[in-house]
Amino acid sequence: MHQNMVEVRDLSKTFKRSNGEMLDAVKNVSFDIRQGEIFSLLGPNGAGKTTTISMISGLLTPTHGDATIGGHSITRQPLEAKKLLGVVPQEIALYPTLSARQNLEFFGKMYGLSGAALSKRADEVLEFIDLKDRQHDKIESFSGGMKRRVNIGVGLLHQPRLIYMDEPTVGIDPQSRRRILDTVKQMQTEMGMTVLYTSHLMEEVQEISDRVGIIDHGELIAVGTVGDLIQKVGEEDRLILKVGSQVVSELLLTRFRHEVEGVTGATHEQAHSNGSDGSATQPDGLIIVIARRGRRALPDLIRVANDSGLDIVSVEVREPDLEAVFLHLTGRELRD
Amino acid sequence: MRAILDIAWNELRILFSDKGIWLNLVILPILISVAVGFANGGGASSSTEGPRLVVDVIDADNSTLSQQFLADVRAANARVLLCPIDNDEADACGMGETALLPEVAQNRLEDEASLALIEIPAGFGESVLSGQQATVLYRSNEDITAPQYILQAVQVAAQRAGGAQAAVSVANEVASDLSILEFSDEADHATFEQGVREEAQALWASDPITVEYVLASVEPQAEGTGNAGFQQSIPGIGSMYVLFTVLPLAAMMIRERKQWTLQRLVTMPLSRGQILGGKLLARFVMGMIQYGVMFGFGLALGIRYGNDPFALILLMVVFTLCVTSLALAVTTLLKTEPQADGITLFMSLTLAPLGGAWWPLDIVPEWMRVIGHISPIAWVMDGFHSLIFFNGNLGTIIVPILVLLAMGAAFFAFGVARFRFE
Ligand SMILES: Nc1ncnc2c1ncn2[C@@H]1O[C@H](COP(=O)(O)OP(=O)(O)O)[C@@H](O)[C@H]1O
Ligand SMILES: [Mg+2]
Repeated sequence: MHQNMVEVRDLSKTFKRSNGEMLDAVKNVSFDIRQGEIFSLLGPNGAGKTTTISMISGLLTPTHGDATIGGHSITRQPLEAKKLLGVVPQEIALYPTLSARQNLEFFGKMYGLSGAALSKRADEVLEFIDLKDRQHDKIESFSGGMKRRVNIGVGLLHQPRLIYMDEPTVGIDPQSRRRILDTVKQMQTEMGMTVLYTSHLMEEVQEISDRVGIIDHGELIAVGTVGDLIQKVGEEDRLILKVGSQVVSELLLTRFRHEVEGVTGATHEQAHSNGSDGSATQPDGLIIVIARRGRRALPDLIRVANDSGLDIVSVEVREPDLEAVFLHLTGRELRD
Repeated sequence: MRAILDIAWNELRILFSDKGIWLNLVILPILISVAVGFANGGGASSSTEGPRLVVDVIDADNSTLSQQFLADVRAANARVLLCPIDNDEADACGMGETALLPEVAQNRLEDEASLALIEIPAGFGESVLSGQQATVLYRSNEDITAPQYILQAVQVAAQRAGGAQAAVSVANEVASDLSILEFSDEADHATFEQGVREEAQALWASDPITVEYVLASVEPQAEGTGNAGFQQSIPGIGSMYVLFTVLPLAAMMIRERKQWTLQRLVTMPLSRGQILGGKLLARFVMGMIQYGVMFGFGLALGIRYGNDPFALILLMVVFTLCVTSLALAVTTLLKTEPQADGITLFMSLTLAPLGGAWWPLDIVPEWMRVIGHISPIAWVMDGFHSLIFFNGNLGTIIVPILVLLAMGAAFFAFGVARFRFE
């Protein structure tokens, strides 16, 4: 038995864009997914998560490199590899005019199930995704969260040991998201499955993952446990000071860096947010300060700001997280 | 194979989960075929309506018997127009004042101004009367369908006029003329003659209905049962609706790619061939259902489709295969669903009239008929005309069948090479 469920080696994909330019969507990506773990790929939109999943599920032919699933090469023994694998695509890949059950039964047949076994698995999956009472309703009549659950259910039909879930929480309400995250945990703990999870949301990745790969512009820039990755940025906290539309001078930022103990960086960002009445947009300035032991630095920061005649509207202290890791590694925010 | 059938079945279930399907599959095509059927003279057709078969006649004998012979030819197939004898005011023979000399007749045959030439030599009447060998010369051009029926008409006339002996002569002449048979030596030839004579005698001696066979199948039109319009519109509108039901494969495939169900199938333990095969099979079945609806409706009306149901169904199968391949080829050239909807509708609405789905191509100018044959519809309609109007069989529609298969193979190769799942 392989200890690694999935081994990805030097995987690259170059797309030819419609304007003729070549785009390296994935560049020399290598990683392993261990038996029974939840491994996440975290990266902003367009980072190459879906392209990577597509290559290691046999949908896209890699420009270079290969991957094995349970020891079977996805490019050379695709049928063997695919048998071990369930896939939950980022899109709701279901037939909208068919019922939940009809979708499950059709895809179940495609996984080679039939007869009583198929019927039993459809029942079990419907139970698991908690849609038994709606099983005969058409997918098109479902809410976003229900569709997502059926989308996941299809990937579980043939009881695979490995499942890929590509942004399974996109575009749904917090309650449904909570439910799906619980489901993913359940797959690991109750069914002993190995999960490859992708998301651009660091909170959920941080919550569920055993290990995380951070991907940006097609490159895998860091791999490790959440703890390992946070170690990389050290113990620095981020302090986010809201200053509204006030002018922030470069001098003030310099004073923060020099006069306040523990501060290693300070930047000013201009964002726009909707006014409280929801109509006009207002300038919404932020000062982001990076500091060791941020809470201790706070009184001094406020004093210096007051000295310069700047009113701080609100303060938020963020302890190191994957967001900070991403910022540290790329110089950009994950949500950009 | 199992997976292909499952995919096809699922596809059909999706198509039939839309209640609107009945409108497009049954109600509209039937309404349109009825309307077009009447417009093509379905209600009040006379025996001479529909395409006329121009046959030149040089009657050097000009005896009572030769005239009887020609009368028999006319009676055997009411579509036959004997030129110049039966020419009308409108000059249906298309010969103006020209006298029909042998060279003129030969040229007309080569130019396809006429479909066949019957030459009755001087002394024909006397020979028949004296029981000697009487010869009628029959020549046809290379046209693929019609001459068979004229030949049949001539043979009937010959049998009537001269019995078995005349049939042998005609068969001989025809055999050498069409060069379908080559004799290695005299003995071979004699055996052939003997065979034909025996067969013809048997035919003559046996049940007269055997002779009637040729007549009977022409009779319904000769008696004006009034379905020539529907005999055009059922296959014509039916074939157009096969385009309407099969070509939307393009939009459906694009939608499946957009909603990722196609990609999801690729991540399952299936080959791409199975996935594509299932989708194409479903469309093929839809096309055949469409034909079934139309021809079934026609049957209920009492429309006759000729004498060879096997050839008829084979023709439908081959055409539907060709259109299914065309749909695949088109899919690879399109990007968005609205684009696919627009282009496939446009294709259906040009290929159908161009190919003679709305009116027979016999009434359009020669150049349009030639251009029309870029449309698979033209070929399938050639086949239907041959089977339905002229009681053809597999042999008479072999060219349309082969052309449709060749077109289909080309579309299929193009489509498979270019098709992308992701
Ligand atoms: N079929 C394609 N053709 C051209 N470019 C593509 C194609 N698929 C994805 N891309 C590009 O590749 C990059 C990575 O996309 P993707 O893998 O979907 O990112 P993610 O899933 O991380 O949001 C993006 O810039 C995207 O525009
Ligand atoms: Mg994606």
